[in-house]
Amino acid sequence: MKRAVWLAAALGFAASSLAAQGVMVAPHAVYIDHRVRSGSVLLYNPGTEPVEVTISTLFGYPTTDSTGAIMLRTVDAPDSTLPSALAWIQAFPRRLTVAPLERQTVRLLARPPVGLADGEYWVRLVIAAKAGQIPIVGVSDTTAIQVGLTLEVRTIIGVAYRKGPVTTGVVLSQLRAQLLGDTLVTWSRLERQGNAAFVGTVRGTVVDSTGATRATFASPLGVYFTMQPRIASIVGKLPRGRYWLRYEVVAEREDLDPAVVLPAPVARDSVRLVVP
Amino acid sequence: MSKRPALLVVLLATASVFAFPDRGFAQAPFASFTADAVVVTVGMTIATLRDLAFGSVPKGLATTIAPAAATAGAWQVTGNPNAFVTIAFTLPTQLTNIQALPGSTMPISFGLTSALWRRANNNPAGATAFNPAIGTVGRFGPPPNPTINIWIGGTVSPAPTAKPGIYQGTIVLSLTYL
Repeated sequence: MKRAVWLAAALGFAASSLAAQGVMVAPHAVYIDHRVRSGSVLLYNPGTEPVEVTISTLFGYPTTDSTGAIMLRTVDAPDSTLPSALAWIQAFPRRLTVAPLERQTVRLLARPPVGLADGEYWVRLVIAAKAGQIPIVGVSDTTAIQVGLTLEVRTIIGVAYRKGPVTTGVVLSQLRAQLLGDTLVTWSRLERQGNAAFVGTVRGTVVDSTGATRATFASPLGVYFTMQPRIASIVGKLPRGRYWLRYEVVAEREDLDPAVVLPAPVARDSVRLVVP
Repeated sequence: MSKRPALLVVLLATASVFAFPDRGFAQAPFASFTADAVVVTVGMTIATLRDLAFGSVPKGLATTIAPAAATAGAWQVTGNPNAFVTIAFTLPTQLTNIQALPGSTMPISFGLTSALWRRANNNPAGATAFNPAIGTVGRFGPPPNPTINIWIGGTVSPAPTAKPGIYQGTIVLSLTYL
């Protein structure tokens, strides 16, 4: 409950301190059960002007590039080797206007093919909102050149469709770590197990030679296939000495209902750090 | 209270403060909300803090707005603490004069460092530069400030013979939860 309070307070502060243009999208991840075959997303306009919203879908999943940066790999026409729900999950309505201080619900309807194998299938929902029009001043001066740019924002969230038994897990290997000033940079290889994405959190703890904790970090992560993420965390300047980084990948997420987070064994490893 | 109801409270409370920051919880528009999917989380909001405003520009001279300038475009995104998101732009290359005959355009360009992002801090000084044409991966700030701030500048280059009027284009900012 404590977390709930600060989250609400933080978001409330953000909302009250801005002349916001845009739309709030909740939740940021949707899980649809095969027995229900539907879901919903709420849109809320906290601003003072109507917001035009367009809904579309795409297929993509997080992975990493050669530097370890996390990226979304999109596939325009996913074939049968990919667990795509792009062809059979649709959103309604696809165009809508959300009035100021009003909410609208976008329904997600699934029409999976007959004989769909058990497992998890993915699609991404794109919520595009026209976020405002730049006021043009000095229009009465017909000799002037005025420049204005319309701003549009797109929020892209994940949708997962689960049929039958779904399992997940992660294999951790190739853990490396380096202290660069006050920043701890870690690299690891994470390979998903089972037939569903691993949605969890990477947690790191730096302990000194006495076993005392000197720093911690946490990073939510989704492993859809295999990834080698580079995670940089500010841990502060550590004094000279030898340390251990305890690194674990757990199937826990603070931002998701525990009912949708699939259980999985914790993957752990550790690596030595030296501050010369 | 179990975890799920606690998170529901977050959503309801969040919705209420977005809706009526100066009023009581009882007036929350989400009070009757029920979800038919098994999902209860906080949401993500992309708020446009400031437009990219060139205003009046001289003919024949390029006008540049730096991303850290007071007239740069600025957004603040609020979401899940420490979560990663991709930040991508769809950028115009030409602006169209909406008051002249069709075909009257003005080039607009964006440099390798025309965009900035920063976790949990809305001061562009100290932000990380990136190429808006390529995009980058950002990360929400830690508690209690789970925000990402994004800025963008650019350069317009009206020709000496550019027709007067209002030139417009569209910048699209895409945020993807990873």
